[in-house]
Amino acid sequence: MRASFSFRRHWNTVMPAFIILVCLLLTWQGAVWLMDMPPWLLPAPTDVIHRFLATSTLGYHTGITVMEAATGFLISVVLAISLAAMIVHSRFLERGLLPYIVLSNAIPIVAIIPLLTIWFGFGMTPRVMICTIVTFFPIVTNTTQGLKSADKRVLEFMHSINATRLEILLKVQLPSALPSIFAGFKIAASLSLVGAVVAEFYSSDRGLGYLIITAATELRTDLLFVAVTVLAALGVISFTFFSWLERKSFRGEGRADQ
Amino acid sequence: MTENAPSPQSGGATKAAAAESQPDPTPANAHIRMNGVSLTFKTARRDVQALQHVDLDIAEGEFIALLGPTGCGKSSLLRLVCDLLQPTEGQITVRGRPPTEARRANDFGFVFQEPALLANRTALENVRLPLEVVGYPAEQRSGRCETLLESVGLLGFKDAYPHELSGGMRQRVAIVRALAWNPPIVLMDEPFSALDEITKEQLQDDLLELWNREKKTILFVTHNITEAVYLADRVVIMSSHPGRVRSIIPVELPRPRGNTVRETSAFLSLVRKARKELTQ
Repeated sequence: MRASFSFRRHWNTVMPAFIILVCLLLTWQGAVWLMDMPPWLLPAPTDVIHRFLATSTLGYHTGITVMEAATGFLISVVLAISLAAMIVHSRFLERGLLPYIVLSNAIPIVAIIPLLTIWFGFGMTPRVMICTIVTFFPIVTNTTQGLKSADKRVLEFMHSINATRLEILLKVQLPSALPSIFAGFKIAASLSLVGAVVAEFYSSDRGLGYLIITAATELRTDLLFVAVTVLAALGVISFTFFSWLERKSFRGEGRADQ
Repeated sequence: MTENAPSPQSGGATKAAAAESQPDPTPANAHIRMNGVSLTFKTARRDVQALQHVDLDIAEGEFIALLGPTGCGKSSLLRLVCDLLQPTEGQITVRGRPPTEARRANDFGFVFQEPALLANRTALENVRLPLEVVGYPAEQRSGRCETLLESVGLLGFKDAYPHELSGGMRQRVAIVRALAWNPPIVLMDEPFSALDEITKEQLQDDLLELWNREKKTILFVTHNITEAVYLADRVVIMSSHPGRVRSIIPVELPRPRGNTVRETSAFLSLVRKARKELTQ
């Protein structure tokens, strides 16, 4: 009884978006049929679905890209959160490091892919590094802002009972920073995928970026659509995953709003 | 971290013992002693003198109200006592030693105008926060928190998050949080000024009951004249720009005080006296 009710409520939320999707796909399919589009220019949705099912290596290429993006992202999380904690605790480090963090964001990553490839070869390393670099800035800035948002009174209270910096960080600042940290993660996760794909464009014989480049040069537009759709789905999945994780880790006000 | 936090049962016994073993440099048995305390905030454009030559001795277990207009440095005075600020001139001693040592020994419980609870912790977990820091025995923490919450009628709300509590309930949690590890001195910075009149009077009575039971030394900052007179043993009247002690009014009303005290002529004449001092 209750399950069917919650299913109906869930369905009511997603139904409008689903209906619009179906309408768009039907229009697309109809347009291709009516105008007799050549498949290399615009394949019909049915062609794309067919290609999706027929491409046996799709899982392999997707796995490579996800691996690169996730590894780079995780390295970035560790580095960026540690750095943010240091910045919040030391005015000297903040002034010393902030210009370089801003600078790291100002460098177009496309421009340093060749450099990293010269240094680290054609393996996974340069591509993971690209993912780390692109995700670093949003995580470090959001975490820093979140750590600084801790209630000043609670900090005073902690000082008045002689709490150590580590205790203040773990018990007050990090919990207060969670919403900002997750906001950073959501932005960084999709950036990481983009970073991996762009790096694969330049130097790879595998991954979704490689698949896109080869599909484009061979005018296999249906395969191009498959790769792009998979990437979009990965972006949505990572966003949903972090929203879910955020709700799980939130206690108090954040959770009750959901 | 210093581990010499007072144990929950120590109470007055250790306090008395400490006072005896520590040769007090002053003849008076002052618990907190301020001697010529001045505080100047240096800003980019000019120096602002927040406090000028404050002398004040506070006895153990005394309830002191610091009463004055905004900007008289009464909040700064609280922060000087607990070592969150350092005086520009003069000395402060707390139980015979400098504020830094007293802070390291977890002598102070601080209550702010805002409850300042952590949103990600339940009422009980918020009360437990200082116990996790001061080295309170881990297995006794939850029991201690429940006792404290029960004493302010919030045991039923121990698993509620701050946003699920009313303003008065939150402030009750903040008060027992400041008492959790049984510190000898409680510093309160306008703790009831954001509450409505009815809740405020309830909390004043709750506070007096807690004070009567736990025998703390309380420094209570307020800009509410009747509140100061109702609660305190002595009302310290302060004037602003720069902050100074203008006069001290002893409140010799009988305790325990209840709402009937508020209507007595003795109470009203003290309020009148305090108001006159403030507006002089």
